[in-house]
Amino acid sequence: MNEKTRNFLVNRFQAYYSQAEIHLPPEHISREWGFISFSDSSETFMKRHIAFGSEGEITDYLKGMGPSHSYYSVAYYEYPSAPKMKEKNWQKADLIFDIDSDHLPGKMNSYAEMLENGKKETFKLMEFLLDDFGFAEKDVHIVFSGGRGYHCHITDPSVLHLESPERREIVDYVSAKGIDIERILSTREVSGDAGRESAQMMVFPSGTEGGWRGRINRYFVSFMKDIVAMDKAEEVLMGFKGVGEKTARKIIEVFENEAQVEVLKGGNIDVLSGLNKKVINTLIEEGIKKMSAVVDEPVTADVKRLIRLPGSLHGGSGLKVMSLDINELEKFEPLRDAVVFGDRLVMSKVIKPFAVQMKGKDIEVEQGEQELPEYVAVHLMCRGVAEYG
Amino acid sequence: MEERYLALYPFITEASAYVSGLGFSLERLITSRAMDPARSRGVERVLQALKGDIEKPQFLASDDRKVLIELLSYPFSRILVSCIGDNFLIRRYALAEAVSCYKLLHSEPYEFICSIASDFHVDVLFSDHLFDIHFTDYIRLASSMKALEWKLVNRKMQKGHVYISKEELARLLQEAIRDRIQGSLPLDVSEDICQMCAPYISQIQTELQQIKENFGSGDFGAVESSMFPPCMVHAMANVRAGVNLAHSMRFALTSFLLNVGMPVDDIIAMFNVSPDFDLERTRYQIEHISGSSGTSYKPPSCSTMRTYGNCYGADELCSRIKHPLSYYRRKTWFNRHKHEASQQLPFSEKDNE
Ligand code: SF4
Repeated sequence: MNEKTRNFLVNRFQAYYSQAEIHLPPEHISREWGFISFSDSSETFMKRHIAFGSEGEITDYLKGMGPSHSYYSVAYYEYPSAPKMKEKNWQKADLIFDIDSDHLPGKMNSYAEMLENGKKETFKLMEFLLDDFGFAEKDVHIVFSGGRGYHCHITDPSVLHLESPERREIVDYVSAKGIDIERILSTREVSGDAGRESAQMMVFPSGTEGGWRGRINRYFVSFMKDIVAMDKAEEVLMGFKGVGEKTARKIIEVFENEAQVEVLKGGNIDVLSGLNKKVINTLIEEGIKKMSAVVDEPVTADVKRLIRLPGSLHGGSGLKVMSLDINELEKFEPLRDAVVFGDRLVMSKVIKPFAVQMKGKDIEVEQGEQELPEYVAVHLMCRGVAEYG
Repeated sequence: MEERYLALYPFITEASAYVSGLGFSLERLITSRAMDPARSRGVERVLQALKGDIEKPQFLASDDRKVLIELLSYPFSRILVSCIGDNFLIRRYALAEAVSCYKLLHSEPYEFICSIASDFHVDVLFSDHLFDIHFTDYIRLASSMKALEWKLVNRKMQKGHVYISKEELARLLQEAIRDRIQGSLPLDVSEDICQMCAPYISQIQTELQQIKENFGSGDFGAVESSMFPPCMVHAMANVRAGVNLAHSMRFALTSFLLNVGMPVDDIIAMFNVSPDFDLERTRYQIEHISGSSGTSYKPPSCSTMRTYGNCYGADELCSRIKHPLSYYRRKTWFNRHKHEASQQLPFSEKDNE
């Protein structure tokens, strides 16, 4: 990035901050702040250990400096500006989750697709946070990071004092780490009635049980229902190991009978006799993988981390770090809704051909000098593929 | 809370407030004739802790005096443990106090268990045969439990509430009690006071010495623990002191012991003092490692041990081997040749490297 580009970006960021609505965290006076500026040195350098006494000071700083990245600490400190961490006197910290689309499994072809996957993962996380952990919607703040993913901030007082290992336990929960599969589908000896031999009974959780157990029942029942509803249900079922035509038909019959389905929902998996334990376990394992949310563990465990300020701009993309309501998340499209700059044309030198979808348009730019709408120009400059002028 | 409860659960806040309210001076506790039974019981508590379990008295309605003695014996025990100031003793003592309460808690009515929990700032509701606690309290209490079943992910949780059985709550409270007692020791006791307690202290020290020596020499039937590498000796001492081992070390120790020929039952017995001991689970894990499910595991190499921070106290011989099992094999070999004994090796000579 050359000096002209730097000056241009600082100027545009300053202009944004002069009218921006910043979402300050609770008790912002107790937070440590950190900023990275568009600087000429090749090494990025963060100015941190900063504290602000009022909202006005924060907005003035942003307007005046136009920093490329703005962060605050998830921690609340007694002395947030003390230069040594020990001297800050840590008091508590918000609970944070980071969904980085870069870390999600599977191949992603475009930036837009990557962001879409991050959104799906965020929904999975929300289900755990609202249903299992019982957080109120108002205490769970979803934030588009402006880069590759989503953050989730929880400010419910019950979690603020949790320490790192305890926060890791929460991450393990949402990502199903350490889940004890053998205790989900187990077998029990049942002594037979007079004259009959003892038999083995499969024990499965019921759909109404709390936590992962109930979730697995519900997944399994709906997964099987979906298969049975297919045109070629019989064939699909016979694809499972050990399932022949007779068993396949029996399974279909079970799912066509509401009463039987209820029994299954209650945890009695023996109605599916014929489906062997290995197959069920494989399906459960797949289900667990699908339902678990991939979050970045070290971020949650770090009770002193700096996190992006909602309402600020991400200097690597020029997009806005955006607070979202859970109801807004569904319709949210980062490459449309987090774009803050306008259509005014800006002379730019594109270093290499680049394609991106922004504001609902497929944008393809060739290499070389050209006029680009400001929102595209800023994005490309921030990503290092264009220079100003 | 009734006084006899305070005597049985002397670590709760109300009990210590009650004792200070009695206005006994430390000096009177240590020197007064009338306090002799309290001091004897105090010594007994510590000795019982060293040997295994602290036995709790049963009180009748008219046992006021007995209640008082039991109550005052607790601070005296703590003074003794503090004067000795040995970490092993502190851990052992805290664990035994906690375990003895765990056993009592089992048979207490649920309201009582809830009131003990609230002393640890845990709100518990009782409904439908289950105790309902907030997940934040749950993970706080269960954080030192290493068995998989205690992980939150394996719990029934709904809207932030975790549902656990009476037995499980008692077990979690045992951890909290142990933490509280262990964390509060050693007390800051003056030289003079310790001087005055000298005769009691020496009794305990003799016993402590004895037990430590036994650990060193180890009574493992066919297995010679004096041939064990330092890392394993250290881990075993920890297990016996009731310190939770990290997963990786637990695995390393178990597989090591199995490989040198220690019987599964003996290993289970050894883990019996471990704070999150659970017989069935432990048996399962150990048998799994020993290969009853078809695979038999070798303990990790020294470099892996080092990576996980499990290499401890490496000695001269360590610098010449790469695997804890080689340590054992070399040492037994040396020993056999030194004594020219014709005995067989106490473990099956498999190639483990
Ligand atoms: S070097 Fe190997 S055998 Fe020696 S203490 Fe370390 S891990 Fe154990």
